[in-house]
Amino acid sequence: MGGDRRYEIRIAGFGGQGVITVGKILGTAFSVFEGKNSVNTQSYGPESRGGACKSEVVVSDGQINYPYVRKADVLVALSCLAFETYIPDLKKDGILLVDSRSITDIPEQDQYRVYRVPTAEIASETGGVKYQNIVALGALYYLIRDHLEESSLREAIKENLPPETRDVNMAAFTKGIQYVKDHYQALGTREKSHGQGI
Amino acid sequence: MKRHPMLKYLKEKGPAGPRMPTIMCPGCGAGQVLNYTLHAVDDILREDGIKKEEVVFISGVGCSSRLTSHYLEFDSGWTIHGRALPIATGALLANPSLKIIVFTGDGDAMAIGGNHFIHTCRRNLNVTILCINNGLYGMTGGQVAPTTPAGIATTTTPYGNIEEAFDICKMAETAGASYVARWTTAHPRQTIKSIKQGVRKRGSAVIEILSQCPVHKKASAVDMLRELKATTVSIKKTSCQPKGKTPIGVFCDKNKPEWTEKYQEIITQHSSRENR
Amino acid sequence: MGKESEKHLLSPGVYYLQGSQACTEGAITAGCRVYAGYPITPASEVMEHAALRLPQVGGRFIQMEDEISSASVLLGASWAGAKAMTATSSPGFSLMQEVISFAIMTETPLVIVDVQRPGPGQGYITTSQEDVMQARWGHHGEGSIIALSPASVQEMYDFTIEAFNLAETWRSPVLVMAEETVAHMREPLTIPPQNQIEILTRKKPQDLGIPPHSFLPYGHDIVPPMANWGEGYNVNHVSLVHHEDGNVTKYDRKTHFDSVLRIKQKIEGNVDHISRIETRFMKDCRHVVICYGSVSRTAVEAVMEARRECGIDVGFLRLVTLWPFPETKLREVVDNVDTVFVPEINLGMMKHPITEALRDRCKRIVSIPTLGCLHSPEMILSKIYEVAK
Repeated sequence: MGGDRRYEIRIAGFGGQGVITVGKILGTAFSVFEGKNSVNTQSYGPESRGGACKSEVVVSDGQINYPYVRKADVLVALSCLAFETYIPDLKKDGILLVDSRSITDIPEQDQYRVYRVPTAEIASETGGVKYQNIVALGALYYLIRDHLEESSLREAIKENLPPETRDVNMAAFTKGIQYVKDHYQALGTREKSHGQGI
Repeated sequence: MKRHPMLKYLKEKGPAGPRMPTIMCPGCGAGQVLNYTLHAVDDILREDGIKKEEVVFISGVGCSSRLTSHYLEFDSGWTIHGRALPIATGALLANPSLKIIVFTGDGDAMAIGGNHFIHTCRRNLNVTILCINNGLYGMTGGQVAPTTPAGIATTTTPYGNIEEAFDICKMAETAGASYVARWTTAHPRQTIKSIKQGVRKRGSAVIEILSQCPVHKKASAVDMLRELKATTVSIKKTSCQPKGKTPIGVFCDKNKPEWTEKYQEIITQHSSRENR
Repeated sequence: MGKESEKHLLSPGVYYLQGSQACTEGAITAGCRVYAGYPITPASEVMEHAALRLPQVGGRFIQMEDEISSASVLLGASWAGAKAMTATSSPGFSLMQEVISFAIMTETPLVIVDVQRPGPGQGYITTSQEDVMQARWGHHGEGSIIALSPASVQEMYDFTIEAFNLAETWRSPVLVMAEETVAHMREPLTIPPQNQIEILTRKKPQDLGIPPHSFLPYGHDIVPPMANWGEGYNVNHVSLVHHEDGNVTKYDRKTHFDSVLRIKQKIEGNVDHISRIETRFMKDCRHVVICYGSVSRTAVEAVMEARRECGIDVGFLRLVTLWPFPETKLREVVDNVDTVFVPEINLGMMKHPITEALRDRCKRIVSIPTLGCLHSPEMILSKIYEVAK
């Protein structure tokens, strides 16, 4: 590590929700377009089929030794099982972004900065539920925007997704950003960030 | 003494001393097959303008495979039991212009290498497979082979073989080989002609050569050759197989795309981008 | 990766790739033009990328009927002059052992990548270092082997190139002992300009001015020059005990002993040229962690944390090359320590040659075993704290 701080992001859901793709896009954005070091790993094998599936991105300006998340700075949870499995590894005060239709009950929610986004619903309105992951990525981007540029993520989306789906993916990404902007205006203060009426 | 005309293709001696006589037992059919093969290759080199260095012999393990052990004045490989065909596959992938002739036996090709035999034929790779079938494992002492007829006693079927024998040619044809023939060591002219056809064929050519093992069968080679003539019948001469007789002849001779030719189309199509 | 980036994969720059893909790219850069394989988790991504990329560079890819035939293809391809590779995972690696033995005896350059998974049996499909002993001792008979242990996506690329260079230099099969961890992770891969990458090819009799009639396929040097098929040298590859000229009939015990000893010694006798280690914090350290592969990533983190948080004087030593085992290099840098910790994703395998090398250089050797997953830094730290505090 050489003293450089690790920033650890974990994206989790059930198989088929595209969490692996989100990890790939994030890693590409950080490393290819931001010049940072990043390691992207994913859950693998039987655990990635059906059950809780996860993708991790560890980012640093320096060398990354241990490649997996030790204590996550960010958890994106798109399914209830994924939330229950990975919430213990989220740092106190860490960012918790959840799909608000799947995860309704968050115990000890004052421990984290919680953002509830109806990712599947927004995706359905945008072009189909399969774009849920990119809606979540948009929302995530706005929450971690101090760490990377929007253009890097847009380039990384182009790099990793088929050209024929580019427009709808970009739209989904924009809607994810917009939702967080609209609902969590005064980001940074915990009281506000709990969000109301979502 | 007049020298055998095919000796020009053999390494009689080298820096470490003589390599002859061969390891083959007196009366073994493998030597006859080598003779027929060299005659066929000799004709092809003269008639087709192919260079000698383009011809490669590969074998696995067994009596038949010993033909390439160190006697040939050609590029050759004496390789792993059953794996001559995958090794030939590798050589073809590296250099598709090679003319590869594989010496194999019934145990090498049908038992331990059976799967590779099937898939080589299925891919229709450009290789000539000469399968010398003596109906048993000679090198290891006369054990039962997949080609041993039912009822025969061997060292591992002391009470008689209860299994049915493989039909190598049917297997080759079904799997997709372009050229399939069966002859015996007692049919020199036909065998030479078939080997020439096989080497010239673009695709997998399988030529089964029924052969004698006088040692393990405890019989005289001459009697066994007579028996090979008596127990086989040309498919040209008969439309139905007389009971108890093995059909010989060319069973299949067709033209269809060969693996490296088809793959070349992929290379041509996909290597043009970005000067790769 | 999307199609756009694949098109430019070979141009210098930074790419975000899986270790498996980096491995295939390294092979292509090294000159590999024949790839044969059989699908197996977690190694299939190497072959899938090879299937895509080989024809683009004029090479040939084939999916064989099993791992035995896949490895066999490499023999024929190498003899016909190509650089050839296969990748498999542990059960498939078991099936390739006869070919490896054959390649050792026929001195055939080829590269086998083993993306290790846990065993025994079908085991599991996660990560493992359980084949490191099979790599050395799995093949029948004597002889030696070269095995590298990459720990990052960049090293999957670099070490695969190095594997081909070693194979061609020493006329030997070379193993890249990867793990699921490094094969599946994505990291930035920097591809340098082609002219900065060293690519080595086998020495041929033509290069040394040796004509066909005086060529000895297993003679001339401790690493004999190798004639390719199709070039008029009438070369016969044979794995029976043979003389320098390939003669197999005149068996004698001296030829047997001398030829096999040479094949072993050309590797073991050059261990200092072939094998590498990496060290950190070794000066006057009281303890040392010795590791390899992806575990070295966890281990260096644990070592730094133990030094920083608890002031424990612990050094770090990584085996970059597993075989031939760099015993002399280990003894040069490890002298009079208390504890040698050996974390491995197996129940203690490389601990044995490490013990053999360092039994008089330390008070104790402590294995830190795990199965099926990479050690967390805590797993290594807790052992260090338990022993050193």
